[in-house]
Amino acid sequence: MTAPSPSTRTRTVDLDALRARRGADVPGQLFFGLLVLAVVVAFAMVGSVFWSVVDGASDIVTERFWDFLSSPSSSDPGKAGVAQGIRGSLLIALIVMMTFPIGVAAAIYLEEYAEDTWAARLIQVTVRNLAGVPSIVYGLLGLAVFVQALRGITGGSTVISGGITIAILVLPVVVITSGEAVRAVPGSLREGAYGLGATKWEVIRTQIFPAALPGILTGTVLAVGRALGEAAPLLVIGAVAFYTTGNNDFLEQMQGAFTALPMNIANFAKEPAESWRGHAATASLVLLILVFVVNLGAIVARARISKKLGN
Amino acid sequence: MVTVPALSSRVSAAAVEPIVFVSVAVLIALVEYFVSSPIGDFGPSNFWLAFLVLVVWNGWVFPQSQTALGSLTGQYVAMTDGSPASPVTIAIRQLARFGVLYGIPVLVLDFNIVPAAAVWVICGLVIFRTAGNRAPWDFVAGTIVVEGFGSVGMIELPELKTAADLRLDPARNRQDRVAGRAMFLAGLVSVLVSALIVWNIFIEAWAFVSADDFSWGILSGRGWFPRRGEFDVGTLFVGTLWVTGIAMLVAAPIGLGVAFYLSEYAPSRVRRIVKPLIETLASIPSVVLGFFAISFVTPNVLEPVFTEIAFQSILAAGVGVGILTVPIVASISEDAMRAVPRELREASYGLGGRKVTTALRVVFPAALSGISAAMIVAISRAVGETMVVFIAAGLTGIFNTNPLDPGQTITGAMASLGAGTDEVAGVGIAFQSLYFLGALLFVMTLLLNLVSDVIVRRFRQVY
Repeated sequence: MTAPSPSTRTRTVDLDALRARRGADVPGQLFFGLLVLAVVVAFAMVGSVFWSVVDGASDIVTERFWDFLSSPSSSDPGKAGVAQGIRGSLLIALIVMMTFPIGVAAAIYLEEYAEDTWAARLIQVTVRNLAGVPSIVYGLLGLAVFVQALRGITGGSTVISGGITIAILVLPVVVITSGEAVRAVPGSLREGAYGLGATKWEVIRTQIFPAALPGILTGTVLAVGRALGEAAPLLVIGAVAFYTTGNNDFLEQMQGAFTALPMNIANFAKEPAESWRGHAATASLVLLILVFVVNLGAIVARARISKKLGN
Repeated sequence: MVTVPALSSRVSAAAVEPIVFVSVAVLIALVEYFVSSPIGDFGPSNFWLAFLVLVVWNGWVFPQSQTALGSLTGQYVAMTDGSPASPVTIAIRQLARFGVLYGIPVLVLDFNIVPAAAVWVICGLVIFRTAGNRAPWDFVAGTIVVEGFGSVGMIELPELKTAADLRLDPARNRQDRVAGRAMFLAGLVSVLVSALIVWNIFIEAWAFVSADDFSWGILSGRGWFPRRGEFDVGTLFVGTLWVTGIAMLVAAPIGLGVAFYLSEYAPSRVRRIVKPLIETLASIPSVVLGFFAISFVTPNVLEPVFTEIAFQSILAAGVGVGILTVPIVASISEDAMRAVPRELREASYGLGGRKVTTALRVVFPAALSGISAAMIVAISRAVGETMVVFIAAGLTGIFNTNPLDPGQTITGAMASLGAGTDEVAGVGIAFQSLYFLGALLFVMTLLLNLVSDVIVRRFRQVY
């Protein structure tokens, strides 16, 4: 029995011809070109947003930046500033941060305690759906509950009402991101702690929570960034663009008219006169810097805690 | 387990802190005296107030916890690894602590938020960098509360107990039960919020529909003028459809292109740079994008093409909302594409499939459920987006099908109703129409989100 020699079964391949065919992959190159175009356009969007904000803000930044940051609202473009807006936004961020423990606790409940009961499923479903509810709808909630029903406690259209409403708005974000962080904690940590006789609460407090902290921190800080930029609910709640009283005293500030940086931007932007363009751009710049600093803080904090925990 | 360092090093560390503090305080006082601050009222009164608090803190809390006495209570200055902090670290921390205290009167007495916040951010970062074990907590708590209790940089040495001590300890079990219940209650908050939203909105929407001067006829006129009693919902639907449609025309191709590029073509080095850059779009507040739409997009991009375009227009609002939804489409689609297993791609290459064939005929169909979910989430977001529309769409209630002119959407109408009234807590049918629209919007977005959930679950390919 003679096997056919390998040479008779081999086909000669013209490598050059194959390479020529590969070079002619017109659809492939066209497709790749389109994808690169999409990425370039997306980059152009990011770039032009920042460029237009910086460009529009350049006049005020060079002429009267501190004055702009520390002046209250005014009908005179030369005097108007965003001090009230910055103040309102920071107070709102403060109130939002005070409610984070609720969101983190809810996430820990869903991940660590919840069994497959109707109550747990109900919580799960509502959190997921709340995350998709448009922000202006939260404004209606705030208007009905905090401005009207609880007027005695919140004082009506105050920064307290606005802050709590925005806190509720970002609550699902906090719950979902914290839940992901808790879920990522390796089961061996839990089992080890249980094995040493720890109670559930001790396992959570000493093992799960510290291990999940980088993720939780990232999620909560992103939520603060979101809270700083939200304006729609405040619009409905009755944040005002323009007020002159209640500037000097902390309590007065908490109980009186309020505004926020995004509200300032919206109002500057809607002024038809050209002289207000720079105000909108400068206020946008301030807001972007605030959001950027907050996000940077999250990155730094995360890196540091991760390093400390050794993972 | 931490080991307690030698007593002498603890005492010397504790002695350094007050000395450094006094010299720093003198330095700041000199600066206060000779240089007037350009960024706000850092008055001398604030300085002495903060000084006083810090003296009390250093004189009372600090020695108790940090010196030889402190070692008896099990606390001492420590770095992360349990070693004692160096004098330099203590000095820097002391300075930052002073700054934090200094910020309190600046905020509360003078109400100067900007300098106070600046001081806190800087000092918070410094404390965060230099403090020991509890530093992240201090950072989260804004450093103020923790500063007040003087627990920065201290750790408690565990009290050793035997298993017999721990077993059936009623206090521990009670603590465990209470904690479990507290977390369940926290979970119920979201249910409560949902219930409140649904209850309020639908009660008020029902009040609108059952009001005396309501008839179904006022919902189908031509134009949305709540003050005149004309509530043509069709006008708003047309506006919303235009804005959403234009937004998806912008977001779908760009978002999908970016997703394809990142998932199929980009080398991981490029991906690490491109992805976060695209994601910065998601962190830009929508007010800024609304302003961008009328100040940049309309004059520079749209006007050269559509010369007839108005200063504020549906088209500009649509493009603005589109930019907003690009990262949503891109990131959810990319996740779906990356979840497609490698074997499918390799099988395609093995059969001689080219890269474009693999991407379009193998990866795309396999990821289709995720991609459709991405589109629906983006549509839901576009329908509910308010601020871009509020700034860029012009908000006239006139019935209008031309996207180059100003128009009105559901969210825009709600925002106008909310912002236009001086005293929002009003009554009457115009005010209640706000809730009617809210109910419409709520139902629409809820349906969209449910559909996307169902799509993901039903059509997910199990690999």
